[in-house]
Amino acid sequence: MDSSTSFERKKHIRFFSRILQILPHRYSILDTSRLTITFFALSGLDVLNALDHLSEKNKQEIIEWIYSLQVIPNEAESNTCKCGFRGSTCNGVTTPQYAKAMESTNEYDSSHIAMTYTGLASLLILSDDLQRVNKKACLEGIRALQLPDGSFKSTYDGSENDMRFIYCACCVSAILNDFSAIDTAQATSFIRKSLCYDGAFGQGPGLESHGGSTFCAFASLKLMKTLNSALSKQQLKWLEYWCVSRQKMGFHGRPHKDDDTCYSFWVGATLKLLGVFELIDFKENEEFVLSTQDNIVGGFAKWPQIHPDALHSYMGVCGLSLMGLHNLQPIDPALNVTQRVRTHMEELHAKWAAAETRKLQTTSMDRSRTKSSTIDRTHTGTVVLAFVIGLGAVVVPWIYKVYFRHAT
Amino acid sequence: MSSSSDEDESYKMYKDRPEWNDVKSVPQDDGPAPVVQIAYSEKFKDVFDYFRAVMAMNEKSERALELTGSAIELNPANYTVWHYRREVLKALKKDIAVEMKFLSQIIMEQQKNYQVWHHRRALVEWSQDFSEELDFTADIISRDQKNYHAWQHRQWVIQEFEQWDGELDFIDKLLEQDVRNNSAWNERYFVIEHTTGFTDEVVEREIEYAIKKINLATKNESAWSYLRGVLQDKGLTWSKSLCDQIHSWRGEGLRSPHLAAFLLDMFDEDLEKKKCDVNKTMDKVRSLCKELAEDTDTVRRKYWNFVLQRMTKEYEVK
Repeated sequence: MDSSTSFERKKHIRFFSRILQILPHRYSILDTSRLTITFFALSGLDVLNALDHLSEKNKQEIIEWIYSLQVIPNEAESNTCKCGFRGSTCNGVTTPQYAKAMESTNEYDSSHIAMTYTGLASLLILSDDLQRVNKKACLEGIRALQLPDGSFKSTYDGSENDMRFIYCACCVSAILNDFSAIDTAQATSFIRKSLCYDGAFGQGPGLESHGGSTFCAFASLKLMKTLNSALSKQQLKWLEYWCVSRQKMGFHGRPHKDDDTCYSFWVGATLKLLGVFELIDFKENEEFVLSTQDNIVGGFAKWPQIHPDALHSYMGVCGLSLMGLHNLQPIDPALNVTQRVRTHMEELHAKWAAAETRKLQTTSMDRSRTKSSTIDRTHTGTVVLAFVIGLGAVVVPWIYKVYFRHAT
Repeated sequence: MSSSSDEDESYKMYKDRPEWNDVKSVPQDDGPAPVVQIAYSEKFKDVFDYFRAVMAMNEKSERALELTGSAIELNPANYTVWHYRREVLKALKKDIAVEMKFLSQIIMEQQKNYQVWHHRRALVEWSQDFSEELDFTADIISRDQKNYHAWQHRQWVIQEFEQWDGELDFIDKLLEQDVRNNSAWNERYFVIEHTTGFTDEVVEREIEYAIKKINLATKNESAWSYLRGVLQDKGLTWSKSLCDQIHSWRGEGLRSPHLAAFLLDMFDEDLEKKKCDVNKTMDKVRSLCKELAEDTDTVRRKYWNFVLQRMTKEYEVK
């Protein structure tokens, strides 16, 4: 594999397009997370400004497949704690198209928080309006995953809990424009406790600081809007220093580990959110990422000279996008989607807010109309009664006169 | 259990096993146009067709346990299989020690898989038997010094079961092998934080420890971060012996960028507390930032120029 420094846009487009179709059987270990792979491929194409390489039919098919992964409430609504999105249909449950409720529920059918996040993000990327998402149930599913210490597990039946899933919870809440399902104070507390002595964040309290968990922690604080209460000016300075220190040529995730393409995003995006991304060495970073490019099949790998994979390919493209290179679409560093998708999301939020306002207005108008129509009915009734009584006062004597006076 | 081999002649597909005749397997329903399909092997499809059936029936039997074993071998990342296996183990009241032996072999093959480590924690929580955990995590760490899962599990065991004794010795040995092992440095902070705490005495001791290690490798970021870390509450200029050492190193011509950065932060503290002559100190700050940006830490030159600008704006007498 030679280290050509030209960016192979067409090959990356083909790489991501192929992933959306089929992976060889050695990727069976990704069976439960096919939805995250879908996200990497779709968002990758989006950053490459190449979503139009998918036909409208194909896009619609992908949307349908994603909705088939939505875990929706059963008729009794007893499983809302498990609602959200599955990673695939491997556990034997497929949600029927347009179903509002599941007729029966498999006890083991449950959402996974990362799939809920990437499922929603993927729908947005495909310009879906999320109408078919049961938002209330999704949020109940998120709420059920938060632990007393403020962190999140990934599935209702139990899993490890760490910074990754706090981030997923924050992204879901941001997309659905509703943070009521998260105890943001507790989540912020967990994040603060995970601040390592060296200035960055581990996966949890006491754990080694790491580029991935640092991104998840900082982006979560941004999304929850609790950054100002969480970190002091001094702590922000130390975090900046830790992040810029992660650059050797590209970026690595922990001191004395090798540079790895994905950290060009994890650490790069953190620096963007800190407002100091411009301080890194762009040339060295670009050179490293391109050295991990597969010039034959496209995509990027974690290191030079090894096989590319979906995650590193997506992160590689994002890492380059952060630097504004190769005509890549700008990305929102907190949500890890293109700005275009962020704008689409905000437009949906505005629509939902307007619909909510109209609903409230209609409800209050209905209430006052019901009140006035009751008055009207009563008023009308009185008039009719008065008329009938009046009529009777005239008609009854006449009947008497006509029928009874003459009979005698 | 060895890794999966489709060529293993003794292996029989579940559909060909007479003891499974009563079960109707459940193929995956991926819909009319699935996305990111996987070209599963026949063996994989067979195992998971039966797993889907067993889950739907909620069968908690010996054969179900064996089936989860086959499923795990093919996809150890399927967290639902692991969860179901735990349910079966509980229902059958299986010996956890036996399960732990099975699990340890899998972890050896899948050292960076989240599900296997979660299963291990679940077993230890269930049995409350942590007797093998420190040795096991030490073994994994010996193969991969920075395995995050191993360190995480180790920290959990130590904290949960209060097994702090001996951990500092363990860390010392690791740092002797590799003084740049950031995971070991982190563990040191973790142990002290939860045992003695960072009292004045302990901080002085840890400063001496860090200085010794820095003398072995002056550009070791981990040792310098540790030094900052132990002083984060007291301030970098708190210890006179450290201040002397810093200036002594500079005097010897030590060009470590971490030393220069540490000194810069010490000046920042002095300036903030108004403990020094602003102009003289800012001259030194300028010189340090220039050294870092142009000579010893050029990949971060824009950052060091930014730091200079920031400090100039904040402290320079107009």
